Amino acid sequence: MPKQGFQPFMESPLHHFKLDAEAQPRRTDGRIWCNELPHLGYAVLRGDTAEAGFAQLVEQVTGLALPLKAGAVSQGPQGVLMWTSPDEWLLVSHRQRLADWTAQLDAGFAEHKLFAQTVDSSGGLTLAWLGGTEHLTVLRHLGVYDFESIPLGHMVSTVLGKATVQVIRLDTDGVFVVFRRSFADYVWRLLRRAAQPYGFAVCQLEARSDHPLFAQLAAPRPSLILA
Amino acid sequence: MLVITCPYCQEAREEEEFSYAGEAYIARPAVPEEVDDATWGDYVFHRKNPRGWHWEQWQHVAGCRKVFAVKRHTVSYEIAGSWTLADGKALYLEEQA
Repeated sequence: MPKQGFQPFMESPLHHFKLDAEAQPRRTDGRIWCNELPHLGYAVLRGDTAEAGFAQLVEQVTGLALPLKAGAVSQGPQGVLMWTSPDEWLLVSHRQRLADWTAQLDAGFAEHKLFAQTVDSSGGLTLAWLGGTEHLTVLRHLGVYDFESIPLGHMVSTVLGKATVQVIRLDTDGVFVVFRRSFADYVWRLLRRAAQPYGFAVCQLEARSDHPLFAQLAAPRPSLILA
Repeated sequence: MLVITCPYCQEAREEEEFSYAGEAYIARPAVPEEVDDATWGDYVFHRKNPRGWHWEQWQHVAGCRKVFAVKRHTVSYEIAGSWTLADGKALYLEEQA
């Protein structure tokens, strides 16, 4: 046995594509621009909206109103909270904030005796941004959903190829695609292949403090060696 | 390809997003210890398999992952509607009565 023992470390599910090395500043041309937002925090929130105090507690802790309509997304500079099912929501922010939120939410659920829970799925999900004038055409090649019909500020959960993904549309510039770690390689290659006829480039993503998801890139990257 | 409306997502979606979950509203014997083998066998194994309207369950696996009831015609594949299991049960029982 080595003295060091088991030393788990964190790496993006797309690390072997070496996207950082390939990334270039985004230019305004007809190409599809894409990149991963690595190491964000994701938590599934489960609860009953009929229970008194549940929605209020979530809003009080996260500052994001609990979306009650199918496909609705609540957004703020601190992250997004999106509807995935009538009793399930997905919370996305940077890892440290998400860890604080889940701890506070769990404490709140226990204190108010709410039948609700949070499950941290940060290790199991990742997110890619897909932009450019033809970005919806690329999705149309891959999935059965009518992606043009997603209203701004909404998400849809559907299939791309054989993988289940969540497509978040916040503005007309691009979409965010949430997919599982286990399908990351598959989804990335699929997007890349479908985008090829339009020109595909990996772009550098900049932290923008006014954007609910790009703002999360400003947080210091979590330590790559897990304690 | 069926186009099924999910009562939770409140949208018509392609069949590819769904998974078939069998016949709907199969009544479990109230006191399983007291029924004979034939009745229990019917409950476990025997399905209606009708030629005509059929109440079935579908799960929106790629969307909200909820199971709901669909009334579908097994010959024409026409779909009369889809409901949450609770809402559909009232209609189903009304039809059976």
